[in-house]
Amino acid sequence: MKTFEEKWTAWLDGQLSGEELVEFETSLPDKAAAEAEKRDAKKLGVLLKRELGADVLRNEEFFSHQLQERLARESVEPPRKQAADVSTWWTIRRLFWTGTVSLALFLVFAVFVMREKNPAEQSQYLTQILNARVDPAISPNATISMFEAKEDHVTVLWTEGLQSLPSDYAAK
Amino acid sequence: MRRLLLAFTIFFALVMSAAIPARADQTVWSGLVIAQNVQQPEPIPVELTRIERPLKELFGYNQFQVIGQSQKTLKTGQEDWLATSKFFGLHVDAQGESAAGYVLNLKLYKEKELLLETDAKLSKRSPLIIKGPQVGGGQLLLVLVVQ
Repeated sequence: MKTFEEKWTAWLDGQLSGEELVEFETSLPDKAAAEAEKRDAKKLGVLLKRELGADVLRNEEFFSHQLQERLARESVEPPRKQAADVSTWWTIRRLFWTGTVSLALFLVFAVFVMREKNPAEQSQYLTQILNARVDPAISPNATISMFEAKEDHVTVLWTEGLQSLPSDYAAK
Repeated sequence: MRRLLLAFTIFFALVMSAAIPARADQTVWSGLVIAQNVQQPEPIPVELTRIERPLKELFGYNQFQVIGQSQKTLKTGQEDWLATSKFFGLHVDAQGESAAGYVLNLKLYKEKELLLETDAKLSKRSPLIIKGPQVGGGQLLLVLVVQ
């Protein structure tokens, strides 16, 4: 058994029919006022439907906007992930190889720098004449000098005034 | 990983081998050379090609003939030897070895007569040339080269 409020709601919604409708309308004390109220309720329903529909649309837009923002965030995130990956580049293994390569480069440069020092110290690698003498009895006017031809890395002991000899002495 | 390790080991060995010079016996060539100016000079002896330019520039001759020579391999750095021609003799007495070369005592004899004596530190990289007496129209030169 429906209460009056249930029947009233059903009547406003146009869901009463047949004997139930006739019975309800006859039970109304002021049918004209009830009809006016029904029209107002319908108008309100249409209005609410329209307004609620618009709200639903706004919500869709809102969710669409939210979704777009999320997609945009997600599309930005991979580079961040890449950055995170880059930060993990310096693994122990790579650190080891970096150290090894650095050590190797250091050795190469050390060797070449040490080798480059040699030309600067070239004088000690040129032949050196410590002393020289001639027999003054045989060559009384002899003089001795020495010099280095550094371009050719040659050291020369230069004598002048030694006893001259005939060409026969050039024999093998 | 193993390949990289192997490559690094080889690389390291190469670097170290370049850094540490290998010690080997050295041969000293000593020669008595007559320098002359002639119209048709003979080619310079092989032993002198390394110093052909300074020989010609310093002494002004166009022909160099070896009249006596000796090649001595030094093992202890204490060896002595003699390079002779018909009239000249060059006695070389090695008196020790250093990183730079050999300490040598050199004596030039004309027959049994000592003409010149000198002490020198002969570098492995640097030949020694000694200007000797005038011989006819030419010049006697003494040359020592570590080969």
